[in-house]
Amino acid sequence: MNIRLLEHPFDAAEAHAGFVNAHGAFGAIASFIGVVRATAAGDAVAHLYLDWYPGMTEASIEAIADAAVVRFGVAALAIWHRCGRVEAGQPVVFVAAASPHRRAAFEAVDYAMDRLKSEAAFWKREVGPGLDRWVEPTKGDTEDLERWNQS
Amino acid sequence: MIAVLFFGRMADLVGQRRVELPSAPQGDSLFALRDRLLGTAIAAGQVEDRAVRMSLNRVVSRDDRAVADGDEVAFFSVFSGG
Repeated sequence: MNIRLLEHPFDAAEAHAGFVNAHGAFGAIASFIGVVRATAAGDAVAHLYLDWYPGMTEASIEAIADAAVVRFGVAALAIWHRCGRVEAGQPVVFVAAASPHRRAAFEAVDYAMDRLKSEAAFWKREVGPGLDRWVEPTKGDTEDLERWNQS
Repeated sequence: MIAVLFFGRMADLVGQRRVELPSAPQGDSLFALRDRLLGTAIAAGQVEDRAVRMSLNRVVSRDDRAVADGDEVAFFSVFSGG
């Protein structure tokens, strides 16, 4: 597993290429890159601030990664997550999974993202012109997470 | 000494990120510390007590727990990552 909590910007294309080089031999790789949107609910967003709890945040990401590996039996999993100030247009999260079979790789990434949205120890703040608000998980985030409890 | 950290909206409500408190002679608990440090904000309706999440030594706890000298407590709002 490759877990990183990053205080500085990272190159998502480089992260992806590195993962493919390291794990491409398994045959199937699925990945997700989350990028900070420049708008939220009609408001312009200049940057996010992701507050985090050193030690607990890393542990929460590792627990999600462990669960994804166990549940879907993927051969390799990477989660890179930004913390601190993340400008609009910058990647905030990179998740990738490698497996001999594509379904497991797709599902491991989807599952890890759904849990990261609600269970990783981050507190997200949207900041822009006339905007400064904490973001809480949406009903959609909760429903996304529920899917995995039903299947 | 008990270290108390605040994250997310809770840090805004108390205006601090970290405080250190002497441990109370009669002992402390998560709920007692929450009421002591965030009671004003709760009473003012700025936050509901059940919206205040807690951890003891970096382990999330929904229940009240005894807090001893040297422990690290945190109060925070619901997580929102990704």
